[in-house]
Amino acid sequence: MQALGAGLAFGLGGIGAAIGLGMVGAKTIESMARQPEMAGRLQTTMFIALGMIEALGLLGFVLAFVLNAG
Amino acid sequence: MSAPVVPAAEASPMGEKIAELLHELSVRPFSENAAFSLTNYTFWLIIAVLLLLVFMVVASRKAKLVPSGIGNLAEAGVELVRNSICVDIIGPEGKKYFPFIGTIFFFVLFNNLLGNIPPALPGTGTVGTTFTWAIIVFLVYNGIGIKKVGFGHYIKSFVPAGTPMWLAPLIFVIEVISHLLRPFTLGIRLFANMYAGHIMLGVFAVFVAMSIEHFSAVGALVVPLSFLMQVVLRVFELFVAVLQAYIFSILTAVYINGALHTGEH
Repeated sequence: MQALGAGLAFGLGGIGAAIGLGMVGAKTIESMARQPEMAGRLQTTMFIALGMIEALGLLGFVLAFVLNAG
Repeated sequence: MSAPVVPAAEASPMGEKIAELLHELSVRPFSENAAFSLTNYTFWLIIAVLLLLVFMVVASRKAKLVPSGIGNLAEAGVELVRNSICVDIIGPEGKKYFPFIGTIFFFVLFNNLLGNIPPALPGTGTVGTTFTWAIIVFLVYNGIGIKKVGFGHYIKSFVPAGTPMWLAPLIFVIEVISHLLRPFTLGIRLFANMYAGHIMLGVFAVFVAMSIEHFSAVGALVVPLSFLMQVVLRVFELFVAVLQAYIFSILTAVYINGALHTGEH
């Protein structure tokens, strides 16, 4: 039961983060193709957004371990 | 989060190997007095810091206008942090915070990179290290904000000007929670990235070991594929090591910027 919960925590957490990451990546590429001179600043902003989204996905990963250990 | 125990009740050979892997990656103190002992992670952390010290001393010993060799490498890193992290995000005054953000960047970078050399572990692969840095960042950026505008104004700036009275308490509570979550996500991100990366590498190593032990026709296919995956993941881990150092320092700069320019967003 715990293993099931751990799997669900990581899996569902991963889905959300994956959708977010896909959107960020797609929109950044779109903007970079439209305005190549802005590429540097767009990339910096992308990494900030990427870092924040990634943290949510990784919370699921950590939660999976906590559930497995408890 | 030390030593997540995997229930090895079924005791399948695979589960045993995975449990062994997790034990290998858990924090293990060297002596009995666990509270103040050197652990396997802090041991490699100290080595990484010593390497960083040697690297920086060697790089800056013969400082020239046009650096060469190791000095060139150090200059590229320093310029990345100073120009594309500090100045680009905080503005011209960002140079003042370069020593702080630069220290974080190179500390995290060297620990992450050293963790990629097989017997070594990344010093940043434990919550102890990452949460310490995250809490330092939290204290520093709040301190900068309070020092700039005073405690009262800093707290008031959590609620943007022009918010209706009835909405202000709600926004204030949300802002406070989001500030308190910052050190948490900062610490978790770095730790989980390094830890998960090493587990991933380890799992593919377990595949190789298992397929050789219980050799079969399928196993003969699994060994080269898993080995190839290991090589690919190693390269990816090098990328993640640099990226995580970059993200940690860039978020530090973003938080400092937010504290410096309160009420302007």
